[in-house]
Amino acid sequence: MASLDVNLRARPRLRRHLVAFRKGAGLVLLASLAVAFVIPILWMTVMSFQAGEKMFELRTEWIPRVWHFENYSNALSHAPFAQYFLNSGIVSLAVMVGNVVFCTLAGYGLAKFRFPGSGLVLLLILSTLMLPLEVTLVPTFLVIHKFEWINTYQGIVAPLLIDAFGVFLMRQAMISIPKDYIEAARIDGAGELRILLQIILPQCVPALSVLAIFAFRDSWDQYLWPLTVVSVDDLRTFPLGLVQFGEDYGNPPTEQMAIAVLATIPVFLLFAVLQRSINRGFGLSGLK
Amino acid sequence: MAELASIGSYRSGKGSQPAARRFWKLRYHQRIKLWGLAFVLPTLVFFAVFKYGPMLWAIELSFNSYDMVSAPHIIGLDNYRMLAGDPIFRETLLNTFVYIGGSTILVTVTGLALALAINTGIPGARYCMTAMFLTNLMPIIAVCLVWRLLLHPYGVVNQILQLVGFGRIDWLTNAATAMPAIIMVTVWRFAPYFMVVFLAALLALPKDYYEAAQLDGAGPLQRFYHVTLPLLMPTIFFVVVVSALLSARIFLMPFLITGGGPGNATRVLSQLIYETGFSYLKMGQAAAISVVLFAIMLVFTTLQIRLFSRSERIYL
Repeated sequence: MASLDVNLRARPRLRRHLVAFRKGAGLVLLASLAVAFVIPILWMTVMSFQAGEKMFELRTEWIPRVWHFENYSNALSHAPFAQYFLNSGIVSLAVMVGNVVFCTLAGYGLAKFRFPGSGLVLLLILSTLMLPLEVTLVPTFLVIHKFEWINTYQGIVAPLLIDAFGVFLMRQAMISIPKDYIEAARIDGAGELRILLQIILPQCVPALSVLAIFAFRDSWDQYLWPLTVVSVDDLRTFPLGLVQFGEDYGNPPTEQMAIAVLATIPVFLLFAVLQRSINRGFGLSGLK
Repeated sequence: MAELASIGSYRSGKGSQPAARRFWKLRYHQRIKLWGLAFVLPTLVFFAVFKYGPMLWAIELSFNSYDMVSAPHIIGLDNYRMLAGDPIFRETLLNTFVYIGGSTILVTVTGLALALAINTGIPGARYCMTAMFLTNLMPIIAVCLVWRLLLHPYGVVNQILQLVGFGRIDWLTNAATAMPAIIMVTVWRFAPYFMVVFLAALLALPKDYYEAAQLDGAGPLQRFYHVTLPLLMPTIFFVVVVSALLSARIFLMPFLITGGGPGNATRVLSQLIYETGFSYLKMGQAAAISVVLFAIMLVFTTLQIRLFSRSERIYL
């Protein structure tokens, strides 16, 4: 390796070519890797425009000869997907807002305040990570049953409203903010809530964005809990509706793919809007 | 000057203050502590109602027989005894461990490999990263429906395999390949997320170590093995624990891609909990399975809290 470098130093033009070649080869490799990851998303999109009988052909027709845009309108008319998407939207926005509000509050309380038992509180919150809904499914259902919230929006939203990951994320984002800001604001007579809203929050926008998109995605994705707590059609979220749609006889999979594409759009959009700030939240701002 | 002096003594809290002011100051600090508690309180109450309460209830239920119709009655350890003697439960438990182990290893290795590839500084790497991260944002329901069709005997996966000269594989209807197929989908879904976590860690590594290694004549592989890997160890450990926690609770992928089959080959604990509780209405026995799953997650969570209490960086 070292001897090659010495030779190349003597021949700058060859070296430049070699570097360019290496970069080119790397790019091709990386791009094909990215394509490999994206293929299922592409396939879903292409199939949503395909004729139903083309789905199980021996060779996939990647560019449809005829574009069947009517798959979308057909799917939407074969089942009340407008209602399902509305339900999902209501639930996901509520869960997102709940996480943003309560995780911010709790994160702030844990990052910048020391009260008796604050260490224990952090431990209590973090240990709920071992109690996801999959584990506490049966008793959580019984709790919601006690509240008489079966088949209600609040029944779907309630158990998803706060996630310990979000609390920890916000705490970590706030813990490095110097305490002097808070002290100075207090001396100026600002109330505690105002300090949080006007001084702390503007400094944690990246973390808030990460929290928002993951809270939205997780509730948008949620299948098991609505399946457990909802039994009426009016309240079904789109994942329930989509699975039911696939099981009902006679609905072509192309129309299922159309709904899947529609369901993917909101998450991608939210990501596009928040992307810069999400990259900073992950600490990726140094990437070329 | 006099004002400054008084501020100084007020700040330092030395004994010359009037009693009333000291009293006020005490209350001031206590008030701030109360605010801290008030910020945390909604979350604590929420977790008491929706996490700790239900878990305690699950433990109690696991000693009962309860079908949602008649009142629960205590049957002692019978639920656990039944589980221990149930071949389906034992197979499901084994499946869960195979799934956790397989997907954790592969997700970690793939995530790290992707992050290293992107971190080479190739132009356009950023766009490749964003493209791969999209797999993590696609609704998981769409992921399952799409992959079930991709893994179809005539699906795209087999088309590609045949292109490279392999034969057709009945991925989802063969007990030997169904679990690997689901693990593959898991890797596709979650590796790009951990790629981002690894990438953040790689970008934060100090550059001078690499310069020093290069001066000492270390090649790329040596630099990776002797510099990157040791520095990345905490992140690798973090990713292993988080992905183990993620895969321990997995429900949707096996449930929608294979439905737990063929036979019982891909059934995992979370699906068994759902079926036992809500298809067969054996709430007590479902609660007993919950306690088993809880015990598995307890191990990983203990590890994770240890990590969290040390880590300074943000990960989600």
